[in-house]
Amino acid sequence: MKLRFDDDVEAFRAELLAWLAINRPSAAEMAAEPSVSTGHAPAWARRWTRTMFDAGWLVPGWPPERGGRNAGPIESLVYIEELAKARVPRTTNVQGLGIVAPSIIDYGTDAQIRHYAMPILRGEATACLGMSEPNAGSDLAALTTRAVLEGDQWVINGQKVWTSGANYADFCFLFCRTDPHAPKHQGISIIIVPMDTPGVTVRPLPEIIHPDQPDLNEVFLTDVTVPAHHLVGELNNGWAMANGSLAHERAMVWVNAVMGLEESLATLLVEAPALLDRLTPIERTLAVDQIVQVAIDTQAARCLGYRGFAKFARGAGAPEQALMKLYASEARQRVALVAAEIQGADAVVAGGVANDGHHAVDEPQGTWLEQYFHSFANTISAGASEIQRNIIAERILGLPRK
Amino acid sequence: MDFEFTTDQLELRANARAVLEAACPATVVRAVYEGTGDGTALWGQLVQLDWPGLAIPEEHGGMGLGMVELAIVVEELGRAVAPTPLLATLTQFVPLLREAGSTRLLQEIAAGTVTGTLALAEDGVWHRPRMHTTARRDGRDWVLNGVKSHVLDGTTADWLAVVAQGNDGVGAFVVPAAAVVATPIEVMDPTLPIATVLLNDLTVGGEDVLLEPGDPAAAQAIERALQTSVTAMACSTVASCRRLFEITLDYAKQREQFGRPIGSFQALKHRLADLYLAVERAASLAWFAALTIAEDDDRRAIAVAMAKAAAGECQRLVVRDALQLHGGIGFTWEHDLHFLLKRAKVGDGLLGTAACHRAHLAEFLGLAAPA
Ligand SMILES: Cc1cc2nc3c(=O)[nH]c(=O)nc-3n(C[C@H](O)[C@H](O)[C@H](O)COP(=O)(O)OP(=O)(O)OC[C@H]3O[C@@H](n4cnc5c(N)ncnc54)[C@H](O)[C@@H]3O)c2cc1C
Repeated sequence: MKLRFDDDVEAFRAELLAWLAINRPSAAEMAAEPSVSTGHAPAWARRWTRTMFDAGWLVPGWPPERGGRNAGPIESLVYIEELAKARVPRTTNVQGLGIVAPSIIDYGTDAQIRHYAMPILRGEATACLGMSEPNAGSDLAALTTRAVLEGDQWVINGQKVWTSGANYADFCFLFCRTDPHAPKHQGISIIIVPMDTPGVTVRPLPEIIHPDQPDLNEVFLTDVTVPAHHLVGELNNGWAMANGSLAHERAMVWVNAVMGLEESLATLLVEAPALLDRLTPIERTLAVDQIVQVAIDTQAARCLGYRGFAKFARGAGAPEQALMKLYASEARQRVALVAAEIQGADAVVAGGVANDGHHAVDEPQGTWLEQYFHSFANTISAGASEIQRNIIAERILGLPRK
Repeated sequence: MDFEFTTDQLELRANARAVLEAACPATVVRAVYEGTGDGTALWGQLVQLDWPGLAIPEEHGGMGLGMVELAIVVEELGRAVAPTPLLATLTQFVPLLREAGSTRLLQEIAAGTVTGTLALAEDGVWHRPRMHTTARRDGRDWVLNGVKSHVLDGTTADWLAVVAQGNDGVGAFVVPAAAVVATPIEVMDPTLPIATVLLNDLTVGGEDVLLEPGDPAAAQAIERALQTSVTAMACSTVASCRRLFEITLDYAKQREQFGRPIGSFQALKHRLADLYLAVERAASLAWFAALTIAEDDDRRAIAVAMAKAAAGECQRLVVRDALQLHGGIGFTWEHDLHFLLKRAKVGDGLLGTAACHRAHLAEFLGLAAPA
């Protein structure tokens, strides 16, 4: 155990910081042309992703031809921390870079990698992830969007919902039922569907915060046909691939979540003196204890994250990592709530904070109450907190399913 | 930042666990509880294995290990509910000697021939702006007067490190057990026995004066020593909680009601998931605190307070649910569960509860009300 990173890791950090200082997009540039959906990549974002790709800074852990530099896991961790500190996103299309492109690279054909994964890495295309349906949320394997092979075409009918970025994305990584007779986990396949294919209709679903810039969508598919070679990986193996692709960034997603949490706390600590000054001594005592508790939560999230990561970096099993999504998202919710409650009546004022360039749920934006509402994005999506507790209990702790 | 233990550290943990499993099974703890035995044989074995010298520098006959290693061993004591003078000696007495730059008694402690403890708290408060216990100068000596509370091993330790208030500040002294009047307090957990210690015109001089009142470095040295004590108590408490959690998890898998294991009910699954999280949360904060002490990092004061607060928060949840999820069996004296339940509760009470350390944190974070 030690508090510092090795010298070579620090050298890596220094190189990254020097490169960022010269090449990063400015805050003004990003705010001038904000991304309005996770499927939307404004010109600055396309240029920036491309610049990172060319310099081997897009996904440092990957080889140079994929936009990386074969960096190790610790370097990759430092990389994510520094980008978050600098407040520059790698991409505005988080699903595309984080899940879709890596999955195509892992399971797709050479042609699929060329036509769909690489354009994402070069900032030329964006993708959305079509998994959830009206009747298949937490129980994702209940999905019913049907794909039938007719000759050399897939014919697809069904509906997706909560599809982030579908209103701007170029293609969808679509989970379909290809064998309705198999057990529900075994009849699912993944098919690439360009969003401009006839029969695809997108209806944005404005959210409770910033309804003017919807990111969520319903996607209706009516007799949509795509070539047979758009099937990714093996037929009826979609469930296994889904677990693989979601696992992709799991080792690292906690870093942004924790950095967002730390930023929220830091802001609260700056605002605290003025907020506390208005309170009576007893109110103040109650409020301070709440702030202290979320400060402990924040440090604990960092420590727990590093703990799991240290094992992961050694290639060992790291059960702590299964705790991070649950813990960091709920801690974030608590910070925003504590802050809003200390604001008291003033918390109700709407923020009208301008989009600073990109929609990153991990970055605190808006008023405390807005952040509080926004924080549910992370406690609901990608396995709600209740589902996380089920997973921890059954897979980590080995409790019987029934 | 590398937050994994080294192979040596993992080996130390495995060895310590094996030693305590053999030398301190629940029967030993029960004997202490029921007054039919004590920790003497266990102590003899630990001395033979050189445990008292763990964190004492090699030049004084010890092994020279650091705070992370000490934390590892202390965790095993908490896990085994071990009745041993090791905790008070190594994590309460020795740190004050060392922060004061004194080598007094180190050799004897490493050899296992003497034990020690810390007499600091008054009326159950460890952090006090001004002590009631006084140190009055008398020529080249100091005269101590006052009452110390919650002194761990207070009736059995050979030496006590006493913190007392002089006119110009706080000071620290070592005094032999024979010079004080120690009255045992009947406590819930006899594996962490405490006493009230009376100092009545006790004259201390020479090398027994660790830190003179008025020495500008005294207050900080005492604070730093106390950080080690607090972190160790956090480690011990979290380790007791981890063991409680493991036992409860096993029980939930094996106990059947309504024709199925009780651990298959989602209400209990979610509680067990939350217990697991509470244990890992508190453990990682305790290790972080140990690491900041080992590396003398400037975050140590905050890290230590967070560790003790989180340990207290952890035991609150784990003690409640471990007892509740065992049903009636956990409520009986015959079942061994209560040894851990009590050790975890007492671990919160000693050296400052969770709430007390959150109050310190309020000050460290600049949130305390302006005077
Ligand atoms: C901001 C955001 C972005 C999203 N982006 C995408 C996307 O890009 N692509 C995509 O496919 N999906 C996306 N989703 C969908 C998301 O994955 C689902 O919302 C999530 O899986 C929950 O499904 P549901 O909304 O149908 O809720 P339900 O599954 O109906 O859950 C309702 C409640 O019941 C609880 N519950 C359900 N089952 C159990 C159980 N077995 N035990 C205990 N409690 C249970 C849940 O935890 C929840 O509290 C997004 C969602 C959000 C909020």
